[in-house]
Amino acid sequence: MSQDATNLGADEALIKPLHRVSLKLTLLVGILVLLVVNMFIVFARQVGLGLGVTGMNHPVTWGFYIVNFVFFIGISHAGTLISAILRLSQAEWRRPITRMAEVITVIVLAIGGVHPIIDLGRPDRVLNVFTSGRLQSPLLWDVTAISAYFMASTVYLFLPLIPDIAILRDRGGKLRPLYEFLSWGYVGTDRQKRVLENGMTVMMIIVIPIAVSVHTVISYIFAMTVQPGWHSTIFGPYFVVGAIFSGIAALLIVMICFRTAFHLEDYLKPIHFSYLGKLLLIMSLLWFYFTFSEYLTAIYGNEPHEMHIVMYKFTGAYAPFFWGMVVTNFVIPVALLSSPKTRTIPSIMIASISVVIGMWLERLNIVVPSLANPRLPTDTGFYIPTFTEWSLFAGAVALFALGFIVFSKLFPLISVWEMREGESHGVKEVTDRVKSYLPGGGTQAKAQTADSGKASEK
Amino acid sequence: MRHKAIFVFQVLSMMGIWVFVLGISAWVIRLIRVANQLKDAETASVAISLVAIPVFLTGASVLTYVFVGLQRGAKKN
Amino acid sequence: MPKWGMVIDLDKCTGCGACVAACKTENNVGVVSPRLSSENRSMFWMEMIKMVEGEEYPDMRVRYIPRPCFHCDRPPCTRVCPVRATYLAEEGLVAQIYNRCIGCRYCMAACPYTVKVFNWYEPQWSDERKQCVNPDVSLRPKGVVEKCTFCYHRLQIAREDARAENRPLKEADYRVACQDACPAAAISFGDLEDKSTKVYELSRSTRAMRIMEDIGTEPKVFYLSEGE
Repeated sequence: MSQDATNLGADEALIKPLHRVSLKLTLLVGILVLLVVNMFIVFARQVGLGLGVTGMNHPVTWGFYIVNFVFFIGISHAGTLISAILRLSQAEWRRPITRMAEVITVIVLAIGGVHPIIDLGRPDRVLNVFTSGRLQSPLLWDVTAISAYFMASTVYLFLPLIPDIAILRDRGGKLRPLYEFLSWGYVGTDRQKRVLENGMTVMMIIVIPIAVSVHTVISYIFAMTVQPGWHSTIFGPYFVVGAIFSGIAALLIVMICFRTAFHLEDYLKPIHFSYLGKLLLIMSLLWFYFTFSEYLTAIYGNEPHEMHIVMYKFTGAYAPFFWGMVVTNFVIPVALLSSPKTRTIPSIMIASISVVIGMWLERLNIVVPSLANPRLPTDTGFYIPTFTEWSLFAGAVALFALGFIVFSKLFPLISVWEMREGESHGVKEVTDRVKSYLPGGGTQAKAQTADSGKASEK
Repeated sequence: MRHKAIFVFQVLSMMGIWVFVLGISAWVIRLIRVANQLKDAETASVAISLVAIPVFLTGASVLTYVFVGLQRGAKKN
Repeated sequence: MPKWGMVIDLDKCTGCGACVAACKTENNVGVVSPRLSSENRSMFWMEMIKMVEGEEYPDMRVRYIPRPCFHCDRPPCTRVCPVRATYLAEEGLVAQIYNRCIGCRYCMAACPYTVKVFNWYEPQWSDERKQCVNPDVSLRPKGVVEKCTFCYHRLQIAREDARAENRPLKEADYRVACQDACPAAAISFGDLEDKSTKVYELSRSTRAMRIMEDIGTEPKVFYLSEGE
């Protein structure tokens, strides 16, 4: 990064949206704030009156809150995981994407992580987890895994943000003290760059196993019980695949929205959407493979309790949701994304929205049918969410959007220094790297790239 | 003057992060002791803590490393 | 140390439901309005469950089976509790601590027998019921999970009495409310490991069976099959 930080040239376009507040945005924020306020009022009522105000009952003791918990944590996998994998593999097209992905992770994780608390009958006693917690309970695995992931992904968002904060600090403005506080005295010396790079490398390596573990552990909430439909060894990887799947879809939605709103067409190009769209297609196929394996073993094994739940999903009360899930998660994305002709930005948007809905339905299909059909031959349960649950759901989504908008007004959504680095070093670096792959290729690539994986070649 | 104040806040926030991380570690260790006293599947809690505590410590260490490195690096220029 | 258990003789059980009513009054189990009942928020510690065998009329059989908490020896519910609000106590009772429960309902989701009930609202007591609540059993607040305790308060009282009279606890001292109420004497209760008790003999009879033994929970409630 050059020392003349205030002169960004063409990349000024990345900073400009920070200072612009349009009427449309004010209106949108107003609506979102209303939804959030409504959420708090409805939640206060739930705490006051008891969980009876929700649609949960006996035996369907978990409903929207747990579904949304799993769903939001799944969305959070977009970010840090994808960004870390792209950074580690030195994919040059990552540069305009990573920041947004990381922000999604941090915000959604904070929102999703609170969901088990709003699900409690006695939220006032949540601190009992600290005084008399049992690490043997899968719920505590979640508490530790999610807080570890939250910490790691916040650090992983923050470190690459430091040079950008320094740019904003040097530009002055009302928020200067905040930027000065957060920039940690970064001025872009060689030593500082090296330190920052080392920190980022450590974080991107540890964040990948943490991200995988988080969603595995969430699946264990279900898989560790002996209930039919839940007690499955495949659940860990199944949840991780679903999480990455819905995460990429959410990332694409956010990218397309801000591309239009912030006029970032020059940075988020069709090629980025094409790459991510292909990734979404692959995840869709992978998701189908896991779903197929999960249900085929159940059907072929033909264990009565297991079959009861499978039939409940296939032909019973949950058939619309089950088949809706198959259509939105598999049929629509595969139909839209398979051919380069249809893999356009609008159709990627449609596919992404479809996948987000589908993955939410999948969580619903996992949580409710197993509870509604207990092993003992009592009557089949039912679950109809009430206004309370819908309000809290809407409020949570609004809170996410609000958090993202606030972030986008404080910090650039596309990493400025990484874009500039790409412009100044990236092209040469990639050319050298490609040369080093070829017979008789240059050896200087070794020194250029931090990656030592090619050291053994020559 | 303002630089000093901001630096103090930065150091305080770093200390806050360490308090958080050490607090979590102390909590996890306490839970293991309780599980041990109650003979309640203590191996499971030990296994989880073996993964959780190093992760938190690594996160805080990386932050501290970067913070100290940036402060020192700024002076050398 | 005793290991408390129950034997229910399905040959004697008439399905009258006296045990359900007795349990409700004994343990101050909340009575809910018809509206809440239609929302599946009824509260039962002892419940009459309907088992239907076969599909169509002549080849079909409907049975009513009383179902308390099975107090499993390897309970799936206690394993998942995040705060040890439910645990396997000494003498084999699966206990609930209402004051510690955070109401996450994980134990309800994990119980294969769906025996646990949740206080969806603050329990309502009519003026008449208020005057006849059992003072030996604590009233539960809203938002916690509860279930059959094998009338643990009766064990505590029986122990106190026995100690006051300086004698060991006898089988007749600790009887549970459903057992007392059963007009057909279908329910027996006692120490499963004491050779002198009735439940010792009955639980080892050839008719004795437990529900869903295949999932390895080892319930301490035995049913004596019909048809003797």
